[in-house]
Amino acid sequence: MSDTITIQIPTPLRPQAGDNATVDVTGSTVGEALGALTQQFPELGGRLFKEGGNEVNRFINFYVNDEDIRFLENLDTPLKGGDELSIVPAIAGG
Amino acid sequence: MLLPGFGEEGQQKLRESTAFIVGCGALGTVIANMLARAGVGHLIIADRDFIEVTNLQRQVLFDEGDVADGIPKAEAAKRKIARINSQVKVTAIVDDINHTNIERLITCEDGSKADIIVDGVDNFETRFVVNDVAVKHGIPYIYGGAVGTVGMTYAILPHAAPGTDDANQPSWERAGRATPCIRCIFEQAPPPGMNPTCDTAGVIGPVVSIIANYQVAETLKVLTGNLDAVNPAMVHVDLWQNHLKQFKVARAYDAGECVCCKKREFEFLDGKFGSSTTTLCGRNAVQLTQKSADGDRLDFEAIADRLRPHGTVKVNPFMLRADIHDNGEPYELTLFKDGRAIVKGTKEATTAKNIYAKYVGG
Ligand SMILES: [Zn+2]
Repeated sequence: MSDTITIQIPTPLRPQAGDNATVDVTGSTVGEALGALTQQFPELGGRLFKEGGNEVNRFINFYVNDEDIRFLENLDTPLKGGDELSIVPAIAGG
Repeated sequence: MLLPGFGEEGQQKLRESTAFIVGCGALGTVIANMLARAGVGHLIIADRDFIEVTNLQRQVLFDEGDVADGIPKAEAAKRKIARINSQVKVTAIVDDINHTNIERLITCEDGSKADIIVDGVDNFETRFVVNDVAVKHGIPYIYGGAVGTVGMTYAILPHAAPGTDDANQPSWERAGRATPCIRCIFEQAPPPGMNPTCDTAGVIGPVVSIIANYQVAETLKVLTGNLDAVNPAMVHVDLWQNHLKQFKVARAYDAGECVCCKKREFEFLDGKFGSSTTTLCGRNAVQLTQKSADGDRLDFEAIADRLRPHGTVKVNPFMLRADIHDNGEPYELTLFKDGRAIVKGTKEATTAKNIYAKYVGG
């Protein structure tokens, strides 16, 4: 499908995403793609967004391909088919 | 070593360098091993923990003899390095690294500061203290983290305070190679218990080695002055998904309003955030109190699931209680919804913080 966005789910959030490492959705912006993701997996919403649901948690970063959405247009960042949206939490272990 | 931009001159620079390795577990042992073999003249190795048999799968400097001897990791690393490269001076620090002691510990006998800080830490609270000290004193800092099959690394060449004149800028600022700091990228630490830790979820040796060696490569570039070769991207690997990515982070400094490297407020080094500990008299227990920007809400169920393989776990809406065995000693860990914790079975703040970082994380 040409309009498919692939979302990379990080390991700690996979239990809330049906144990999937990637989830394909459609959406023309990052906000729409994450909306489609959390509609499919409602438990993810509480992990990704702050209470209220309009702002993403600041210990998780979102990258469209290799660019941070904070320096694009945040949740309004446009997406096109084939784009990869990575959800990247800080990794604490060592 | 016969490499472009290295040579005898580079080797000499390594001999004259001091690297501060914070944390000597999975990442730290690989880092210490490689930096010692590369001939970095002075290694300061800090770790608060002892070696357990379950560490040996990934902590390459240690062996069964060290477990049997019950020696602390930093000291065991020092002994091992003396046999690997006797020309390397090692300072072993068996202590918790925190805002009260880090500035003293990164200072060498002659009053100079370590030339680089390499991250083998297992928690974000310590990382943010390290990041603060790196930015405040203009010391390169090589972040690394690994858990499960996933790892991440990023080399920080901290910006000088805005308005610093050219003569006082570090070489990387003048060369246009300064980078965002870790708080430009992750403004906040993950809340306690949000993510699995190496002790609850495990970590595979290869991802540790890959990330740690990446950190070592960046360290060698920085110490030999090959700043153009330092990777400006944040590297992310998932060995099980066969997924390697480099995320562009360079714009985080200019576009962001970083509290640390732009506003020069060192919240963690000043002790404004982070945990504080209180020994509970007569109870053989230590209380840890988290201070964070947002009120944390702990996800008891997620934490309980990760702790069950390690002992009995009881959960009610107000608290979680787990019996854990660590290094052969029994501890009772009690967590409250606000992130407060009581670790019973020790009077030592360092031990309590270690148990918390290993089994709850944050
Ligand atoms: Zn910063």
